[in-house]
Amino acid sequence: MYFEIDPKIREDKGLSLLREETHRFAEEVIRPAARKLDRMSDPEQVIAKDSPYWDVLKQMKKLGYHRIFIDPDYGGLGVNATEAHIILEELGWGSVGLTTAIGVDQIAPAVASLFAMGDVIEKIVKPWVEDTEAKYHGCWGVTEPECGSDYIMACEESFLPHVKELHPGEVRADKDGDGWVINGPKSSWISSAPTATHVGLHVTLPPHDNLANGAFCIVPLEQEGVTKGKPVDKLGLRDDPQGDITFDNVHIPDDYMLIRPPFYEFRIGQIICATSCFMGTIFTGLARAAFEEALRYSRERIQGGKPLCEHQLIKQKLYKMFEKVESSRCYTRKIMEHVWERIYIERTFDASSRHALSAQIYGKRSAFEVAYEALQIFGGYGLTKDFLIEKLFRDARAGLIEDGTTEVLGLAAAYNIIEEC
Amino acid sequence: MAIFPSREWVEAVLQAAEKSEKYKEAAKDWEGDFLSIIEGDEEFVRDLSRREVMEGFISFLDMMPSEARKKFKGTPMGDVFEKKLGVPLDTPADKFSIDEMTSMASKLSAEDIKGACTYFWSDFWHGSVRAMKPVAPGEHEDATFKLSGKYSAWKLMVSGRQDTIRLVMSNKLKLEGDMSYVMKHMKAVVALTKEVFAGVPID
Repeated sequence: MYFEIDPKIREDKGLSLLREETHRFAEEVIRPAARKLDRMSDPEQVIAKDSPYWDVLKQMKKLGYHRIFIDPDYGGLGVNATEAHIILEELGWGSVGLTTAIGVDQIAPAVASLFAMGDVIEKIVKPWVEDTEAKYHGCWGVTEPECGSDYIMACEESFLPHVKELHPGEVRADKDGDGWVINGPKSSWISSAPTATHVGLHVTLPPHDNLANGAFCIVPLEQEGVTKGKPVDKLGLRDDPQGDITFDNVHIPDDYMLIRPPFYEFRIGQIICATSCFMGTIFTGLARAAFEEALRYSRERIQGGKPLCEHQLIKQKLYKMFEKVESSRCYTRKIMEHVWERIYIERTFDASSRHALSAQIYGKRSAFEVAYEALQIFGGYGLTKDFLIEKLFRDARAGLIEDGTTEVLGLAAAYNIIEEC
Repeated sequence: MAIFPSREWVEAVLQAAEKSEKYKEAAKDWEGDFLSIIEGDEEFVRDLSRREVMEGFISFLDMMPSEARKKFKGTPMGDVFEKKLGVPLDTPADKFSIDEMTSMASKLSAEDIKGACTYFWSDFWHGSVRAMKPVAPGEHEDATFKLSGKYSAWKLMVSGRQDTIRLVMSNKLKLEGDMSYVMKHMKAVVALTKEVFAGVPID
C-alpha cells in the first residue's frame, strides 16, 4: 500500500529495507503491545514490571532507537534526517504512545551528547547508549501545575520580551556547594515519568523571576527527595504513562546542568525544534495508520449493496485523508532535514522554530483530522473496541494537547513569524 | 604543524581566513572584535617544557612591542618569566635562551603559573580577519566580545577537536558580550573553528 513519492528514497534499497524492517517491528511488536497497554483498566498495570511496556522498550533499545538523536560521536545511531524520519513514521504508525517513550528517553542524553564534556558523558551518555535492557529510561520534565504549555512559549526566543507575563516557574535550582539543589513540582503530564530513571529537567535559576532565566539539567530520579505521582488515567495515549514528579532538596553535580544562562534563553528552543520534528513525524505515522484502517474497512464493509469505498461521499473522504497523510509526510520530512542540518551537521543550532513548530502542529492536526474521518467511515463500529480506529482517534485527540497544545505551539510560532519573516 | 600560540600560528590563521571562501561567506555579516584570554594550566606547563613550544610561545610574545610586554610586569605571567624562567618578559626575543628556559619550564607546576594569562586580540569584520595579535594586560578591554579559558580548552578549540559551542556551554571557555548577536551569527562562529582554525593543524 505504501508508495514513496521521492524517487531518491524509493530507489535506495537501504532505505527501503530500513522502512520494511522498522514497519515489521511496528506491526509485530509495537502495535500488539500498544493495544494491550491501551486496554489495561488501571494505568499502574502499564508501568508494572511484567508489563509489555518494558518488553517493547528493551527491544527498541536493542534496535538502537534510543540513540537516534544522540550525537554520533558519542554513540548515536548515526542516521541522517531521512532515515530518522522513516524510522519515526513507522514507529508512530505502530504506536505514538510507545514511540513517545523512546523519544523522551533520549532527550537528556542527546542534549548532553551535543553540549557537555567530562563526567556527564562518562556517567550518563556512555552507559545510556550501551543500554539494551532499559536500565536507563528518560523522561522530559517541562510543564508544571501552574504553567502548562506556557512553558513552551518561554522556549521561543521571539517571545522573550513578554516572558515575564507568564508564571515564573515552580521547579527551581539553587547553587549548593559545587552542585545544585532542586525543589518544586512538575505537572502530571510528564511522559514516561512513572517509569523513568532520569529526567531532562527545565528549572529556573535565582532570582527565579521568569522562565527564561532558566537551565536544563539531567536529574537521576532514583534518589532521596524525588516523589513520583500515580500514572494518570486518561482518554488517549494510554500506552504513554504520564505522571508528576516533585523534587524536595534533590542534589545534582554541577556538570549535570547541561544548558545554563546565557545559552538557555537563546538555545533551549532548539530542543523544541528537534522534539517538534519528532512529534510531527510520529503523528504522520498515526495519520497513515488511520487512513489505512479506513481504506481497508471501506473496501470490506458492504452498505447499500456495494463496498463503502464505492460510495461517492466515502471516496471524497478517502481522498482528503490521503492528501493529509502525504502532505504531512512531505512537510515533516523537509523540516526534519532542516533541523537535522542545523543541529547535527552544521552545528549552528539555529533551526527555524516557526517551521519546526508548524511541523509538529501540522502532523498532529493531520493525524486528528484523518483519524476523525476514518472513525466516521467506520460508523458505529468505529466506536467499539473491536477495531483499532477508536484507539487511533483517542490517541490523535490526546496529541492535540500533549507536548504543547496546538494553540500554544501556534502562538509561539507566530511570535517567531512576526519577528523573523 | 604550528605551535599554538606562536607567530607562525597567527600568520597561518590569517592566511587560512583569507583563503577560505566558506568562512568569508559565513561571516559576511559579522562585525566584532574579540579579546581572547588564555589561562595557563597543567597542559601549558607540560607543553612549555618542549623546546619547540617554548620557542613558538616566545615568537608569539615577540609580536608585541617592548612597551606592551613591559605591561606584564607584576602580573602572574610577568612573574612566571621573571621569577621562574629567569628573564623578564620584556627581554628582546633574541636575548632569550630557549634551551635554558625550556629546562626551567620542566620544573614548573600548574600552581606556579596559576593566574598567568596570555592575551590576543582579533578583529573580525565582514568575513575578513583585519587583525590578530598578542596584546598586553588591559589592552582592548573594550572589545565587543571576550573569550577566556584554560590553555587546554583553547587547544581543543583551535585544533577543531571540539566545537566552540560545546566548550562554551560546558563552561570550558567563557564568552562575554552580546550573546544574542553571537547566536544569530553561529554560522560565522562555526566556520571560524571548522574552516579557519582547524585548517591550521597544531602540534
